[in-house]
Amino acid sequence: MRFLLRRLGFFVLTLWAAMTLNFFIPRMMPGNPAQAIKAQLNHSGHIASPAQLNALLASYGFDPHAGLLGQYLTYLKDMVTFDWGVSIGGSSLGTPVRKLIAQALPWTLGLVGTTTVMAFLLGTLIGIVAGWRRGGLIDGVVPPVFVVTSALPYFLVALVAIALLANGPHAPFPNDQNYDIGLQPSWSGQFIGNVLKHAVLPAASILITAIGGWILTMRNNMISTLGEDYVRMARAKGLSNRRIMFGYTARNAFLPNLSGFAMSLGFVVAGTILVEYVFNYPGLGHMFYVATASIDYPLLQVLFMLVTVTVLVCVLLCDFAVFLLDPRARAKG
Amino acid sequence: MRRMKGAAIAVSVGLLAAACGGSSHNSSNNTGSSSPTGGASGTVASPNGSASGGSGAPASHKQGGTVTISNEAGQNWTCQFNPFNPAVNSLSVGFVYEPLVYVNSLKAGAETPMLASSYKWSDDKKSITFTIRDGVKWNDGQPMTADDVAFTFNLIKQKPSLDLYSLFTGAGLQTVTASGNQVTMTFSDNAQTYFYLFAGQVGIVPKHIWSTGDAAAKPDTWEDPNPVGTGPFMVNPCKPNNITYTANPNFWMPGEPFIKTVQYPAYLDNGPANLDLANGKAQWGGQYIPNIDAAYKAKNKDNNYWFPPMTNVALIPNLDPSHKATSTLAVRQAIAAALDREKISQLGESGYQPAANQTGIVTPTFNKYFDSAALASSGYDKPNVDKAKQLLASAGYGPDKPLKLSVITVSGYTDWDASLAVIKDQLKAIGIDLTIQDLEGQTYDDKLFKGNFDLAYGPQLSGGPSPYYELRQLLYSKNSAPIGTDASTNYERYINADVDKLFDQYATADDAGQVSIIKQIEAHMISDVPFIPTTESVDWYQYNTTDLQGWPTKDDAYAQPAPWNYPDDEQVLLHLYSKSAQK
Repeated sequence: MRFLLRRLGFFVLTLWAAMTLNFFIPRMMPGNPAQAIKAQLNHSGHIASPAQLNALLASYGFDPHAGLLGQYLTYLKDMVTFDWGVSIGGSSLGTPVRKLIAQALPWTLGLVGTTTVMAFLLGTLIGIVAGWRRGGLIDGVVPPVFVVTSALPYFLVALVAIALLANGPHAPFPNDQNYDIGLQPSWSGQFIGNVLKHAVLPAASILITAIGGWILTMRNNMISTLGEDYVRMARAKGLSNRRIMFGYTARNAFLPNLSGFAMSLGFVVAGTILVEYVFNYPGLGHMFYVATASIDYPLLQVLFMLVTVTVLVCVLLCDFAVFLLDPRARAKG
Repeated sequence: MRRMKGAAIAVSVGLLAAACGGSSHNSSNNTGSSSPTGGASGTVASPNGSASGGSGAPASHKQGGTVTISNEAGQNWTCQFNPFNPAVNSLSVGFVYEPLVYVNSLKAGAETPMLASSYKWSDDKKSITFTIRDGVKWNDGQPMTADDVAFTFNLIKQKPSLDLYSLFTGAGLQTVTASGNQVTMTFSDNAQTYFYLFAGQVGIVPKHIWSTGDAAAKPDTWEDPNPVGTGPFMVNPCKPNNITYTANPNFWMPGEPFIKTVQYPAYLDNGPANLDLANGKAQWGGQYIPNIDAAYKAKNKDNNYWFPPMTNVALIPNLDPSHKATSTLAVRQAIAAALDREKISQLGESGYQPAANQTGIVTPTFNKYFDSAALASSGYDKPNVDKAKQLLASAGYGPDKPLKLSVITVSGYTDWDASLAVIKDQLKAIGIDLTIQDLEGQTYDDKLFKGNFDLAYGPQLSGGPSPYYELRQLLYSKNSAPIGTDASTNYERYINADVDKLFDQYATADDAGQVSIIKQIEAHMISDVPFIPTTESVDWYQYNTTDLQGWPTKDDAYAQPAPWNYPDDEQVLLHLYSKSAQK
């Protein structure tokens, strides 16, 4: 129990520290929101004055003259109360941050979340089999292939996929967007099918480049675990191969991978900017980029907070999982 | 590639650009039909006033067809259409909201009456009376009246953050009153140069919507999700990945718009946006496409492009005495004499952006104002390395005392990088060692605005219906500021009382007088070298003629052609028609 309490206390402390950094780091970037939005207002030979820029920002709830400490306290309060304000960035000026996030988050979770979990599960499974039959056919072919693919730059895989499968009028897959333009989102089979069709290429590209790492670490963990005394004992007891493979070896070999998985799950929320770029897929990664470029403090701090919170929550959950899976952790705690 | 970004930001901004193509290689005008030339571009107001009452509608066509726009927005749509929100007004002004008069920057300010059927200036040009068109309806069916026009401007007056064009602070607009079908505006000063802004840019909004509820409480931040306007299209519906505009059945021009539907997908990046244009999924582009002849034009015989130039790209020298070299006239003269602008255009910009010249007049767009004789006699029309070396020596620099300068530019603007590499070479020949500093956008802006540079490459300003608009931004002393504080647009810190006086006189001058004033300013550009133009920034514009006809072309420049030019986009949409729908 003390183990869990200590973990929770640590979680709260890290969260506060990370959120404080999230507040100050964007404000240390060069430039300020007024400058960033200036280009937007210079139109048709008209020039925006600094006073006009500040008046505009103030009407969207950003007061450049408020003290940093005041801003910080408001920020903490807003983050905790989910009162996230409106964007002050060039292309999304005045849109509630909550709405922006709500539009992008499901697509990121759907695409990146699913593929991350799939890559982890598939990679782990292949790693288990490959490690178990070290030197076998699967071990000889699959890991090397995927190690090579995981070393390929993502955008290259994606561009090749587009060139082969999504170019021209009769291409089997669409090259951009999350669903056909003009289609109305609904829970109909047609719409869901369309979404899935649009997700195939981006998902496959992520999977191909992400899976190699999981295979390799899992295989290596398996091999070293197979040399442990308790595995030999399990064999001596005459247990079935299957039971030794999953219940004794994989269960232990899996633990180091789990924290890696927790981290990568946390970063799902950060999106994958290259996927979104190449396939014009609406997600949080691209939003991150735009918010940074346009010095959009309200949006930036919420995005940062989401990543921080999910990473920390995932790590916390992973700690709990280890607590359940590994008796040693319980004993120590 | 990210230079595109520049264009894309311009997009949402609607950085105007204009004019007949400077590049020699382009748009075969195959709009081979009875199309629009007649209407919109024909109705030009007489110099002293009232625009003629024609509808501006092009020849009639049957309705039908769809146009898909490809224009990188860099972000998903937020589905806000508030015409006073500078982030989204390019999606509503033109499509849904209309100005009083359309002013065409490509044709020296040629006018097409829109919501105002005519207007009349007072003799001193301090007051103007618009006659508001009869029979115009909002897209919810209610009639549009002079009251709505006065309401729009008075709303702006009440709420300074709505005043995107500084009409009440800068242009001296004082009162706007409606009486019958007339709207009268009074100004504190001659307001002729602001006509383009108050009549041509401000979208008129309906009083019955904007005087109640959220719209009335927060007109500046209201989302306006279902905009009610008088324009040819209605939003129906908007999704984060695409806006569908459908024809407004109540539109006041009979039979218009010919196109039934406009699709405007949200492109996050140029890659997909350019691909969709090349393979015909989108027909109207405002994109920078590298190697456009192979990547776009060669893909389909109906793919065309045209890049009209509008503003200057220049080396901006820091004229503040704290920057000794660049504030020395002979050094600036030497740089201006050394540059081979044709080469910069060809090597740096693949010829897409034509060469600029030292007068600061963008040609051929503003040929009317261009003093080619003055340019020729100044010797800046051709590169002259010997003269440049002499000038540099007279400033005290030479082989034994080389001049080291740095230039700031925006990282990712690859065409600028290429241009600067050419410039670096050319300056090396006269003994200037140029260091190129690629800076992230925000850092670049910060240095540019605060005057923290020797030379800056830029400046990405917006143009207008005459060179006055760009040159005034760059050369008028009130747009400058001391080093260390943000200058609004006069980044080089050029302060010259004579030039200020010329700008002040421009508004009261007649047409010939304005040309003469611009020519006098050109003389100062040549003698003072306040900035050094290198190439001319253009509008990126691609169009596909497989099904759609009526596009603006080099020979029929009835509007600025890029989809991000507002309210010009409305003129384009009113001229477009679908071939297949005519059968």
